[in-house]
Formats: sequence, structure tokens, C-alpha cells
Amino acid sequence: MQKFSIYILLMSFVFVQCSKKTTDGMVDKTKEKMSKVDPALAWRAGAPAAGPARDIKLGDYTSFDLDNGLKVIIVENHKLPKVSYQLSLNNDPILEGDQVGYVSFAGTMMGHGTSTKSKADIDASIDYIGANLNTSSSGIYASSLKKHSDKLLAIMTDVLYNPSFPKTEFDKLKTQALSGLATSKTDPNTMASNLASVLNYGKEHPYGEVRTEESVNNISLDNCMQYYNTYFKPNNAFLIVVGDVNTEEAKTQAKKYFGKWKSGKIPTSTYKKPNPIKGANVSFANKDGAVQSVINITYPVDLKPGQKDLVKARVMNNILGGGIFSGRLMQNLREDKAYTYGARSRLSSDELVGDFVAFASVRNAVTDSSVTEFIHEMKRLVNEPVSAEDLQLVKNSMTGSFARSLESAQTIARFARNTYKHNLSKDYYQNYLKRLEAVSIDDVSAMAKKYIRPENANIIIAGSKDDVAHTLKKFDADGVVDFYDAFGTKLEDVANVLPTGLNGMTVINDYFESLGGMKKLKDVKTMVSKMTAEVMGQKMNMEMGQKDNKLFYMEMSMGGNVMQEQRFNGVKGKIGGMGQNQVVTEGDQFDSMKDQAVIIGQLNYLDGKHTINLKGIENVGDQKAYKLEIIKPGGKKSYEYYSVQNNLLIKSTSTQEVPGSEPATITTEYEDYKEVSGVQFPHKITLIGAMPFPLVMIADSYTVNGTIPTEKFNVD
Amino acid sequence: MKKLFLIIFLASINLVLNAQMNKIEYQEYTLDNGLHVILHQDKSTPIVAVSVMYHVGSKNEKPDRTGFAHFFEHLLFEGSENIERGEYDTYVEKAGGTLNANTSYDRTYYYEILPSNQLALGLWLESERMLHAKVEQKGVDTQREVVKEERRQRIDNQPYGSILQESLKRAYKVHPYKWPIIGYMEHLNAAEEQDYKNFYNDFYTPNNAVLSIAGDIDYNDAKKLIAKYFGAIPIKTKTVYRPTAVEPAMAGEVRDTVYDNIQLPAVVMTYRIPAQGTPDYYAVEMLGTLLSQGQSSRLYKSLVDEQQKALFVGNFSLGLEDPGVAIAFGITNMGVDILDLEKAINAEIEKIQNELISDKEFQKLRNQTESDFISGNSRVAGIAESLANYHMYFDDTSLINNELKRYLAVTKEDIQRVAKKYYDSNNRVVLHYLPKPVNP
Repeated sequence: MQKFSIYILLMSFVFVQCSKKTTDGMVDKTKEKMSKVDPALAWRAGAPAAGPARDIKLGDYTSFDLDNGLKVIIVENHKLPKVSYQLSLNNDPILEGDQVGYVSFAGTMMGHGTSTKSKADIDASIDYIGANLNTSSSGIYASSLKKHSDKLLAIMTDVLYNPSFPKTEFDKLKTQALSGLATSKTDPNTMASNLASVLNYGKEHPYGEVRTEESVNNISLDNCMQYYNTYFKPNNAFLIVVGDVNTEEAKTQAKKYFGKWKSGKIPTSTYKKPNPIKGANVSFANKDGAVQSVINITYPVDLKPGQKDLVKARVMNNILGGGIFSGRLMQNLREDKAYTYGARSRLSSDELVGDFVAFASVRNAVTDSSVTEFIHEMKRLVNEPVSAEDLQLVKNSMTGSFARSLESAQTIARFARNTYKHNLSKDYYQNYLKRLEAVSIDDVSAMAKKYIRPENANIIIAGSKDDVAHTLKKFDADGVVDFYDAFGTKLEDVANVLPTGLNGMTVINDYFESLGGMKKLKDVKTMVSKMTAEVMGQKMNMEMGQKDNKLFYMEMSMGGNVMQEQRFNGVKGKIGGMGQNQVVTEGDQFDSMKDQAVIIGQLNYLDGKHTINLKGIENVGDQKAYKLEIIKPGGKKSYEYYSVQNNLLIKSTSTQEVPGSEPATITTEYEDYKEVSGVQFPHKITLIGAMPFPLVMIADSYTVNGTIPTEKFNVD
Repeated sequence: MKKLFLIIFLASINLVLNAQMNKIEYQEYTLDNGLHVILHQDKSTPIVAVSVMYHVGSKNEKPDRTGFAHFFEHLLFEGSENIERGEYDTYVEKAGGTLNANTSYDRTYYYEILPSNQLALGLWLESERMLHAKVEQKGVDTQREVVKEERRQRIDNQPYGSILQESLKRAYKVHPYKWPIIGYMEHLNAAEEQDYKNFYNDFYTPNNAVLSIAGDIDYNDAKKLIAKYFGAIPIKTKTVYRPTAVEPAMAGEVRDTVYDNIQLPAVVMTYRIPAQGTPDYYAVEMLGTLLSQGQSSRLYKSLVDEQQKALFVGNFSLGLEDPGVAIAFGITNMGVDILDLEKAINAEIEKIQNELISDKEFQKLRNQTESDFISGNSRVAGIAESLANYHMYFDDTSLINNELKRYLAVTKEDIQRVAKKYYDSNNRVVLHYLPKPVNP
């Protein structure tokens, strides 16, 4: 009864699925030579020598404090007639508890209304001058052409002083945040980074807090306002002015617009250092149908900005996998093995706690091989000294990168801010290149021993569980892969939660009992189901009849016109409607019609030719369900989900061939079971994947053991 | 050494559009072998961007070798007669530089950003690539797999990653824009030795390239070095293949559904628009600004803020050498019917078609356009690329200073007119992106 004919629906709509076929690489046997060497070109053989190097000069900045404690940093740059103002708070991170997300909400809300302006007014005035304005929990960034700078500052400071936190905007933000969270469930990079946060730092640390639907729902507007009132103070903040502005002008602007900002006491917070990672832990977040695995090998490190060995540690990390093509991870996993488009590593410093992460996206089949290579490269760096050549390359590339960064005036501003923020010596950045050049092979080894520890790391994978997870046990110290949802909440291990003695067939038998018992089910000889659905504003009616588990028909009509029909007389079937007519005597469609003639489809499972595997317990909506894998005699697989609570079928999924297109996965959900003639029937059935929108079918009637006119099953 | 055929002219001094805009000065000339050279001096930081843009993109590919232009871009980092496999990277990084390349529908672009005392190195590397690139079997096999991983990472495993591929596949029937730049897996597998040779000879010829250099250079020294490294590179072919297919007008709206690994449905509407550089193209760009730039834009304000039907809305035009497309799209907020969102987007477009925009809103668009244009030239690497683009596509390098005029020539009436003409339901593809039912 539950298997409404899906083909028919599919045939009436064009169906598309992205092609995800992969084929094995074809091997070319020939060696490429695109031209012959000409002796006249011998002079080209070697790379040309460098000319005399120009000095790398750091630009100047000016800084001073306003009376309210706001530190102003000004960097002049007159290349473009633009100017930017960045207000940057220097507060301790906040532990958000059960309202993770509220701090960021507070920052966003500041730009969503002031005592005199609605969000729409603010947006209109910013866009009118072609400017940008961005508010966040850590400050405000605004930029525009120089000629609009006074207008821009007026808006920026209105937002700073007079945010009104309107409730309507708050509710809107919540809806958007919840929708945003939904999208992160299919984004493997977000999944991996959520797991990294939780596993590296723990939920007691601000860096270990991850937004969830629950935490967003908990956020209160009062808390957001409280955050603003408490933390938006000038006495622990920077105002950074960069661009086509002279210093005097900028000073005047700073005083005029930010001078009246009231200082106040700002709470400070301290946090316990996260526990170091013990052993290698493999953690997995499942993304169904993923064709790549996102790999993160990660752990927290004790590395602070300005720390003496910071530049040495950076050199070490760049040899491993910093942002260059010559990095070892890139060379090994991409240029040699072709496992990935890019493999890198990052070592970050932070006042509270830094982190190391080595990462790549790799195809499913090489996920475990890639983890092996990551670990190999990490160990090699710890155990073997690097060559002088490798070291020099990285030092040169870091020198070049430093020089390139100076093209932007924002870099000088950032250096200035960091110098104050982290209490660095005045010449910290002036001497950066000297410190870099002094890094030795021994330094690199020492840093690798200190900061690279593949044996005590979180090995995090976001990818296709079925394809990949079983290959990863070998990397875990205890041999157990832990599973998490997209937000880093640990999932129960199926093996531990399944009651003993339960298997696929017992679930099916419990289902028969819940429907009304085997005797009642076997008494159902004929059945007519009538259902209604709404399709693009029009009513669609469906009628299906089954007799003796051998005969079957289905009619689908809209506005009185028959759109499609199927009839099956036990020997052959007919698919017709809308002027087309097709008789089927074998093949997939024939088999499907034959199956559908069986009133309680699951009774077929008793024939001994079906394999029923219990795959575990999963959540279907807010219900827990047993997941069964059904393998038909031909080998075709489908899945059914039975409620743990009442044993009724609540969902099924199967893959259907679609003529002229990619196969489609169809999900059917069953709800609203009601008794008819002693048997439970679902009165709401939702078909997902057959049409461009979920098709919700409501049962008008189920008639058991009525008389069905024989012509209904007539094929000829 | 051959004499250089120099046409040097300073960019015209007239018509500085905005008193505030700092003009980009440059020199340009063409070598005997047809290589066009553009130089821009900026001594503020001791770095130089060396770039070569080849006038070949995915639209020059054969229909059974899609993705080849991009695949070939990867192969051209493999080496040359004088550069061993892997050495492109090490030469540049050892010199303190960075390098990369990218491929579009219309062109392929290679660049190095180096300390300015390494200009010769950049010229040598690029001239080696143009003169006698070399690819070993290991390189071919490796890069083919790397490109497949790139495809998986960017398209197949990326929520909504296939939007461009699926939209253009239906917006074009005959023009090569119908296939994705990165190509299809089976074509990547099918490429053979002769394909590489042909592609190199057909497109990697100096008369099909622009050498664009920006940064801390001395004009005369740079010219001497350019003559040395590029002057003797022979022309490989005189006539470079350009596709001639003219895409006929759409026969009516195309609607389709794509199932993707996503959570929230999205509607994607792709309109066919004129080629970049045409007057109507600039009007379509202004229309795009009206629709989706900034939170006061029509689509954002109405759909995200007021009606809250969308989590995200956007509109962008794909300015292409041959007539391209503009894509308006929205991702539904949770629980919103995708048809509702589609209707609401259509209503906003109809409003523009039916009512002329106000002077104030029109001024806003002009201000936004001015600000964007001026902000575009902040780095030498970006300037080198823009200069090459303007020459390659429009044969008018001075547009780096003057293109804004073309935007500002657009009138309110033009915006309404192009909204009617191109954002017409018979001139579009509508795709519904729906969550693929969870695999068991």
C-alpha cells in the first residue's frame, strides 16, 4: 500500500541530477615534447640572475590617545581617493554558554537600527555614497571615497552611539541564523571546523563554542543589548584610519566624531587552558553522498603573538605546508600523488591558545592514504633535519610575502595595532626580516619537535561515512572512530544502543504486529486508496486499487482529466495517459508494478529471497527509527525506517531509474496512521524527490475488501 | 636579434573623468611577432607583477575535449626545455615571489609577483612557457587527477557549486559557453598527446598573447629585457581559431530542477545578455547594481529584509566576449516555498520594467559604480590584469582610466529598457535547486 507509483510522477517532469560520474584516469604512454631544442637558444638554459635588491621599507604611521582612552592610529596613503575607518575592540573573548551566537548577534544588530534611523534608512544612506559599513561584536569597519568621509563618519558614529536593537530585526536575524545553520549541514568545511572547535578546545572554552539551532533559539535580545552596553567602550579600543587623508585631518575627525564616546569599566575574563590532546583521535562527521573528504589534523598549541620562537615556528610550518606550492604537503599529496587540489597546514598564534591544522579535500578512495601521507610528512619534519636549500626557499618566500604585504597601507595599520595590542617592542616589525634570516636548521627541528605532534592530534574527517569511515580506524589510538553531527555533538554508537536480539526481520515482524497483526493483514484481499494532493495550486486526485496481491491499478487526475494511469493484470502492465500508452511485459517498470500489486508490500520480505539488514538507529525528524537495508532478489537496495517507539514505517528511500536521465533518489514519509478495518494505514504521505517540490498526499479513504470492477485491471 | 616594432604612446592625457581619480599611466607596444606589451610603472613597493594573458579559454575547445584549456593551464606549470618538472614553483618561491594562473571562458592568465629585482626571472619563466613548454607523462597523469579533485572541490562537493554549469548548459544550445570551464570528467580522461601538441601550437603563440607588467620597473630596462626574452619567439600560427557559433535567441523559457546536496532550496534565473563592452551591457550591469548591490538594493531589501523569503539573494552578470548571461538567484529562508521566492523575485524585476527609477536611486547607482571603479586599481597585480583585459577584449587599453564613462553614459531609461528587453521570461532559464533526498 505504501508504495505509490513513482515512475508515473517522474515521467511527467523533466528530471535533472548533476553528473557525478568518475572514471579511472586514462594513461598516456607517450612522453611529451612540444618542440626541439635549438642550439641558438642555448643562452636560455639557466635562470637569469637577480638585480640589486631594493630595501624593503615599512611605511609610517601616527598614533595618539583621545582623552577617553581610544587609541587612534593613522596611516596615510594617497594612491586612491579612498579612506577607511576601523574601530576595533580589544576585549577578552566571551563564553556564551547556552546562547552561543548572541555576541555576534549583538554586533550585527548595531547596524540594524538606531534611535533615529531604521535599518532601511542606514542601508540607503550607506549605499547612496557607495560606501561600506560593517558592524560586528569586535567593532565597526567603514570605508568610502574620501569626498564622502564626513557623511560616512556621521552614520558610523550614529550606529556606534545609538543602536536601538529593534525586536523585528532581532527576530529576522534569528530566522536567518537558523537558515544559515541548515546550510552548514551540507558544507563539509563548516562541519570539519565545527568539530575542530569542539574537540580542540572543549565546550568550556570560548573557542570551543559552536552555534546550534538550540543555542540560537535561546538567544535573548536583552543579552545582546547587555553585551553592547558593557563592552563597546573606547578605553580598550583602536580607531584605525587608513587612506587618502592627511594626519591632521584625521586627528580632527577622530576628535570630532569619537571624542565624546564615554569610557567605562570593561570586565575581563580568564580561561583555563584547554587540555592537550592525548593520543590520536579519529572523529567523523557524515555528509551523505560526499565525493570528497575534508581532512583536518589539528590540535591546540601554546603559541602567543610576539613570542620569541614565533618566526621560527612559522618557518617550520611553511616548510611543511604554508601557503606555497613548494610546501611538502602540497608536493607530496598534490604534485606527487595527485590526491588533492591542495594540501596545506597552518600554525596560528593567539593570546589565549593557538592551533595547528593540516588540511586538504581529497577524493573518497584516497582518504586513508592521504591521512597516512599527512602523518608521514609531519613525522619526517620532526625526525629529520631540513635541507639548507628547503630552509632558504621558505625564508626567501616569507621575505617576499612580507614585502608584498606592504603594498597595502592596511598592513602598516595592522602592524601598529598588533604592536600595541600584544605589547610588542617598537621595532618588532622593523626587525622581522632580520629574525627571519637568522632561523637555522636546528631551530626548525626544535620547532617541529615542539609543535608537530601527529600522535596526539584530532584527526577530523567530514565526508561520506559509508564510503570512508571504515578505513580510518587504524589511525585512532583506541581503534574507534567517533561520530559527530555537523555541529560537533557526539552521536551514540549504534552497536551500543541496539537492543540485543534485534535484527531486520524482528523489526518487520513488530511492524506487522503494530499494523494490526498478521491475521488481519492476510485477510485484506482488496484495497482501494483515494488520495488528494495539491500541485501548483491545483488539486490532484489519485486512486489506487489492489487485488489478491496480484492485480493493480492507479489513476491520477487533475481537474477531472486523467493525467496518468497504470494497470497491471498480473501478466502485463500498461502505463498511459496524456495521449501516451505503453505496454510493459518485463524490466524494471514491470517488476515495480508487480511489487505494487502486493497490498502490504513488506509481506514479500517473507519469501526468503529478500535480505533485510538492521543498519542502526537514526533520527528521522524528531523520532528515533530503526534503519533497515532491503536487498531485493535482483540485488536492488532500498532503505526503510521504522519508529523505535511504535514500530510503524515512517520513511523509505529508494533509487529509481528515470528514462533518459540520471537515477533519482525518492524519499517517502508516512504519517498520521489511523485504523481502517482493523489495520493501521498512514493518512499523510509525502513524496520527496519525484517532483520539484515535496508532494503531500492526504488520504481521503481506504476501502478494504470492497468490490473492484475487473475492467480497472484491464490492460488490452 | 630582431628589431622591435615599437608603437609607444602614453595614455591620452585628456578626459580625466573625475578630478579625484588618480590616473593609471602606462606604455604599450607590439613586438614583430605580434606579442602585445603593456607596462605600468609604480615604484611605491619594490615588487613587480609579470603576467601573460593568452586569448584562449574554454570557448576555444572542441566539444569532446571540454575542460582542456584549463587542464592545459595546469600542464604549463610542468616545465620547459630548460625548466624541469616542479621548478616553476621553486624558481619563483626561492626568489621570494608567488605565482598562479587561471582560466576563464575566454582567456588564460598566468602571473608571477616578484621582488622587483627579479623581473628578468619572471620574463624568462613566461618566455620559456611561450617558446617551448614541455610536459612529462608523470605531469599529465598527475595534473589530470589534480584537476578532477579541483572539480570535485569546486563543483561536485560544494553546495550549490553546480549553478553555473547547470544554468549555462541550458542557456546555450550551440555556443561553447554551454560547457563548464573545468570540463567534464570523461573529456579530461580522453585527452591524448596530439591534443596537447595541437593546443599549444594553435593558441600559445605570441600573436595571441598580451604581456602585461606592472610595478617597480624602469621602462627602458624592462623593454630591453622583453626584447631579449620574447623578441625571437616565433609565431606558431597566423590565424587563431575563434568559435563563430552565434547562439540563436531562446525559444522560450526553460525550466528545470536540479537535486543537490543542499538543505535549502534555491531558485536560479539565467537571462541571456549582450557581450561585454556593448552599450546595453553597461546598462545591464547598472541594472544588476540596482537589483543586488548593497542592502538597500531592490532584491535584498525586499526579499531578505522586508518579506524575509530569502536567506540570500544576488544578481551578477557574466561579462563575456560573446553574448553572456546575467544570473539572479535566491536561497530560501527555512520553510519558504521556492515558488513563492521565485514569484517575489519576478515581482521586483517587473517593478523595474514598469516604473522608471527615481533620480535619487539613479544617483545612488552612479555613486556605487564610481566607488567600485576607483577601488579596482589598488594593487599592481590587479592593474596588470586589467590592462591586459582592456587590450585583449576591447583593443583599448585606455579604458583602464575611461571605462567609467561608459557606465555613466547609461540613463534611467536605458535601465528600464534593458530590464524589459533582457530580463524577459522568454529569455531565461529557471532552475530550482532542491535538496537531494538523504541517501540511505
